[in-house]
Amino acid sequence: MSPRPVTGQPTTPGPAADTRGDPSPPTDPRPVLSLRHLTVTFRMRGGRAVRAVNDIDLDLAAGECLALVGESGCGKSVLASALLGLLPGNAVVSGTALVHSPGTPTAPLDVLSAPEKTLATRVRGRLIGLVPQSPAAHLTPVRTVRSQLAETVRELHGTPRAELRAATERAAARAAFPPDHLDHYPHQLSGGLAQRAATAAALVGDAPLLLADEPTTGLDRDLVEHTVDELRRHADAGRAVLIVTHDLVAAERVADRVAVMYAGRIVEIAPAPSFFGEPGPRHPYAHGLLQALPSRTFVPVPGMPPELSRLPTGCAFAPRCGRATAQCTTTLPAFTDGTACHHA
Amino acid sequence: MLELAHLTAGYPGRPPVLRDACLTIAPGEAVGLQGPSGCGKSTLARVAALLHRPDHGTVTVDGHRVHGWRHRAPRSLRTRIGVVFQQPRQSADPRLTLADVIAEPLRANGRRAEVPDRLPELSRSVGLTDELLTRRPHEVSDGQLQRACLARALALEPRWLVCDEMTSMLDASTTAALVGAVESYRTRTGAGLLAVSHDDELLTRWCDRTVTLAAGAAGSAGAAGSAKDLDTWTS
Amino acid sequence: MARARLWTSATILLAVVLAVLVVPPLTDLDQQLVAFSDKLRPPTPSHPFGTDDAGRDVLLRCVYGLRVSLLVGVVAALVATVVGSTVGALAGALGGWPDRLLMRLVDAFASVPHLLLGIFVVAMFRPGLWPVIASVGLTHWLSTARLVRAEVLSLRERPYVEAAISGGSTRWRIAVRHLVPAVLPRAGLAAVLMVPHAIWHESALSFLGLGMPGHQASLGTMIHAGRGSLLAGDWWPTLFPGLFIIVPTLAIAGLAGVWRERISPRRRSELML
Repeated sequence: MSPRPVTGQPTTPGPAADTRGDPSPPTDPRPVLSLRHLTVTFRMRGGRAVRAVNDIDLDLAAGECLALVGESGCGKSVLASALLGLLPGNAVVSGTALVHSPGTPTAPLDVLSAPEKTLATRVRGRLIGLVPQSPAAHLTPVRTVRSQLAETVRELHGTPRAELRAATERAAARAAFPPDHLDHYPHQLSGGLAQRAATAAALVGDAPLLLADEPTTGLDRDLVEHTVDELRRHADAGRAVLIVTHDLVAAERVADRVAVMYAGRIVEIAPAPSFFGEPGPRHPYAHGLLQALPSRTFVPVPGMPPELSRLPTGCAFAPRCGRATAQCTTTLPAFTDGTACHHA
Repeated sequence: MLELAHLTAGYPGRPPVLRDACLTIAPGEAVGLQGPSGCGKSTLARVAALLHRPDHGTVTVDGHRVHGWRHRAPRSLRTRIGVVFQQPRQSADPRLTLADVIAEPLRANGRRAEVPDRLPELSRSVGLTDELLTRRPHEVSDGQLQRACLARALALEPRWLVCDEMTSMLDASTTAALVGAVESYRTRTGAGLLAVSHDDELLTRWCDRTVTLAAGAAGSAGAAGSAKDLDTWTS
Repeated sequence: MARARLWTSATILLAVVLAVLVVPPLTDLDQQLVAFSDKLRPPTPSHPFGTDDAGRDVLLRCVYGLRVSLLVGVVAALVATVVGSTVGALAGALGGWPDRLLMRLVDAFASVPHLLLGIFVVAMFRPGLWPVIASVGLTHWLSTARLVRAEVLSLRERPYVEAAISGGSTRWRIAVRHLVPAVLPRAGLAAVLMVPHAIWHESALSFLGLGMPGHQASLGTMIHAGRGSLLAGDWWPTLFPGLFIIVPTLAIAGLAGVWRERISPRRRSELML
């Protein structure tokens, strides 16, 4: 894959955005997240192997929000779990996923090869903050938001007891969680506030990378907009945000760039304005997916995604593609210039 | 006609989520029901599918006034209404294969003999391949499982379909495919539809008219939580 | 790890079951053979576990005793599981007043200590195998009933059950097709875990002199009989029957642990879709 420029992204980190000070210099050229040849294979019973994520290359800069979209079962959630080291035991991961904290002298850390101890002490919460899929289920119902947030602050920063209260309130403020609701239990919060509480916990460790796995599933439209606007705010504050979602409307609202995944591979990466506006997606699958929206033609992509265990040779989309030619069924299209299609 | 009149419904120990709601669906009509989380639209859908007993109000299906809910509803009335839920994972018995999931209503109604003919037809109508039918729910994706759940709802050729957030866990393409399958079934049979969703673009595109259920159902008499006289429009 | 536990437990259990099944019919040895000249001999090659205060071979009596214990344990666990699952499933599936009635019955039984209730049952009959089985079986179904009821209650609200109702399924069909297969693995696990419990219960009853008649070998009666000589420093007539209670118990618990992991849902999704 040709090196993609990582500078000159739509947003640059706001110098005063991070209330904890130490604003990252906007000149750090290294991406926050850099995936190279990321592959996840599940070993199944009977010796079968299922490649759920296949040779992914991706860069994500500070202050940038990237939406990873695709049909259910395309491997996008597996990719997110791989970054956090939360895959089941039968998964084999290869490739590299370097996470870099901008403005720090430490070398980028490969989270794929890091041992569990490193993941627990240095990665989860500190390098990668997870914004959970269902915040209500993510919070303990029997403890107040304050006590859960305080525990996270103490775990990640070792804050002494005397300063814990102030530090907790600062942490809540960063996710715009109202301080007068800190003593509430999760079931007393509205969906939006529960989302903010969970986001506040994700932000405590000052992770340069926020990972949101289907943050809008099952929410009503107002709450979807509210949730993605919060994520946008954190991107504008200088964090790198990776949103894994099937919700194209939410992606359009929040993302700087869109990556479309199909059968374990990224088939297109495009700036959001050109993807959702003119000239539109270039890969036929991305085009079909976007056109399936009720606000567009509402026509589904014909057929169903292929079995990951039995991918066709050549382009995985060829059996469903109106533009497929003989070449498509024999040769896997290389990812060049933002898309992986012989005809784009 | 599927007539829901002056429904008040809720769950024990809590104030009713639905107050005095009225909704009438004509045969062949597609009605969208939208509203924010917690406004009682799923409860309304469950009442309409005869799965939840309302505290007050009446449900009339094709002229038959409903007196019992769940198992107490006569089977002939229950099976007139097909229902699809939001979460496919919760809606399919994890022990059954997709073929068994789809054929279950036929078998439960003593129409076992029709299974060999109807099963391929049903699975084709929702776009499932034969190979997928031999799998269990944990071996397929959410979208594929929801297709099977829709096929199950269509198995008895219901006169009415209730789709409660059928597509909110699904991607755009699967959404369009499932809505297309519902619509081709309705075109063929003239069935009526109650589609619940929080996506107004989807409902506007899908349904003949859309009804909004206001939030905060507990309110002053009549208006709040009612579909009766809130902004109703026709697309 | 789980594999090692599985094989260790299975091997021990297989050896115990084989010994219990094969030794009594195949060998001509008489466990009741009394030889006062040989009484209370410490372990020797001819009597590996020594002899008791009547000169009987402790190893042989342990095998016979375990035979009784296993029989009581397995049959009583089966009785308890069948009774408990039936009561629990009926309460959960019917709901309403049958549920309330059955569960108050369970509460009433549970408010009396197990052993006291067991003693009451045994006291009504002559000492013997069947009263002991009845006493253990009829006091141990309560936890199974509660477990099965809770499981059925949670399953009853699943959307797939609602879809089945909407599809015209009768209560009976839903129970047979959806509820029972879902509850069965858990009820089975409870049954397996109850076997060691029942073995201990039988031993306790026998130790108190309420279980098996004194002359018939049972692990409980052996410990009871060995108690007297323990004070004189003769440890073998009590230690070995004690070990015969503990080792099979641990083996069964080990197998149940492996089973528990098998049926836990996290093993189900090997491929995340």
